[in-house]
Amino acid sequence: MAGIKDLGVGIGWRSEIDLTVERLPGVDFVEVVAENLHIGHLPESVTLLLERGVPVLPHAVSLSLGSADQVDLHRVEHLGAVAEAVGAPMVSDHVCFVRAGGLDSGHLMPVPRTKDALDVLVANVKLAQRNLPVPLALENVAALLEWPDGELSEGQFLAELVERTDCWLLVDVANLYANARNIGTDPERFLDEIPLERLAYVHVAGGEQHGDIYHDTHAHAVLPQVLEVLDELCSRVAPPGVLLERDDNYPSDTEIASELAAIRAVVDKHRG
Amino acid sequence: MAAPTAARGTRLPPEEIGYLVAGPGRAAETALARLLDAGLVRVSRDGLVSAVHETELGTLTAVETFILVHLRKAARFDAVVRNAAKSQEMRTLHQQLRARRLTREARPRLAVWWVFLAFGVLLGLLALLEPWTLFGAVAFLGVGFWTYGAKPLTRAGRAALKGVTASDRVLAVALEGFRGRIGNQSAGELFGLPQSVVKMLPRKRKKRTGNRGGAGAAGCGSGCGSSSCGTSSSCSSGGSSCGGGSSCGGGGGGGD
Repeated sequence: MAGIKDLGVGIGWRSEIDLTVERLPGVDFVEVVAENLHIGHLPESVTLLLERGVPVLPHAVSLSLGSADQVDLHRVEHLGAVAEAVGAPMVSDHVCFVRAGGLDSGHLMPVPRTKDALDVLVANVKLAQRNLPVPLALENVAALLEWPDGELSEGQFLAELVERTDCWLLVDVANLYANARNIGTDPERFLDEIPLERLAYVHVAGGEQHGDIYHDTHAHAVLPQVLEVLDELCSRVAPPGVLLERDDNYPSDTEIASELAAIRAVVDKHRG
Repeated sequence: MAAPTAARGTRLPPEEIGYLVAGPGRAAETALARLLDAGLVRVSRDGLVSAVHETELGTLTAVETFILVHLRKAARFDAVVRNAAKSQEMRTLHQQLRARRLTREARPRLAVWWVFLAFGVLLGLLALLEPWTLFGAVAFLGVGFWTYGAKPLTRAGRAALKGVTASDRVLAVALEGFRGRIGNQSAGELFGLPQSVVKMLPRKRKKRTGNRGGAGAAGCGSGCGSSSCGTSSSCSSGGSSCGGGSSCGGGGGGGD
């Protein structure tokens, strides 16, 4: 995929921290939540970043590709339009569903890892791909539950998804850590099973432990354990890009810069 | 310009300097500038101010704490300044400055002040012939003096401002406001604020010649907004909503 190599280290662009993102040193690329952008009226900050040559990648949260209902093509079209507006080489969403039977979950719900669910997902992904102007990458989610009667591990599920749709993977190492804590999955096995050559980029985020549950809040500092998962991933493959996601309770510019530096240090360690 | 946080070589903290220069609005701007300088708040391009950490740690003054406490939810840049200017904490600051005799109650100059003065002089001259008119002369001269008005800044206040320069960006805001110019850029730009944000604040009001006694033109500072201190009479009356009670007239050292 042309233009996706060597994205570097980036951060999720959010309007609350737009000036911070603009002036932070070492922001090689940004990701925008596609649903928050309006075609024809891009935020001034995003335009400025584009003028500086900073790649802007649209990230969607509402396609609900794992839903038994057919994909809402209006949402796909909007995602594609955002991609064209910002000249993005790719777009992304999640391996999840967010609505069913007319109800909206308000959360990225994990897909049952069954062959039937995979068939539904593959059909939806293919439909989305046909209506998108650029390649689609799909992200593993943080799950607080596992549906019963799963037939595949998460890694196997994603590997088959890639094989059948030729999609790219957006690996969220914070979600891998969260799943390891909450439902006992093994990040190393996940990394063993997915086709790392189809890795588009990586997400890193912070979270917080509440009782027995680790919450992938995107509103707390990145834990060293999450960076360890990133380290494990980087020991296997040089990720084209790694992006810090922060969605709330924004820390100081200095703290954000130091989190980006920590991420870069892990990446650079393996690039020798 | 570097980003020091204290007013080096000055006796007063920047917030008080801001108050003395242009009243509660300017003091509020200065408090916000100090919080920005310290990295305790951030501003977005659409002018929303938010607290960096949801605590009051790092604040130096009661007005700063007021701002930070009220930023648990992001607020518009101009609203932050306006609300801080009207806060009880700002009224307390005004009272403290008055207690230290740096400010006093401003009196507006009445347009007819010279009439009383002229009658006083006339009666004074008449007293050479009719001595009893001397009492009238004194009375008219007294009323003339009173209606001439008084600046809110005392001699001590003016002395405290003497030699204060925009040696750092917080002081730059104290002296000129976010919209004021330091060299070829606005003070707001020293904080990396876009013009669209800086312009949320009301334009600096020109000091009106011939209205020296009225504190409204210079006394409100930019933060009060035109609604509450839009006229010199409303400010100088000491009863406007700006700054609450008499504090609007408290500033006005002529910085604008």
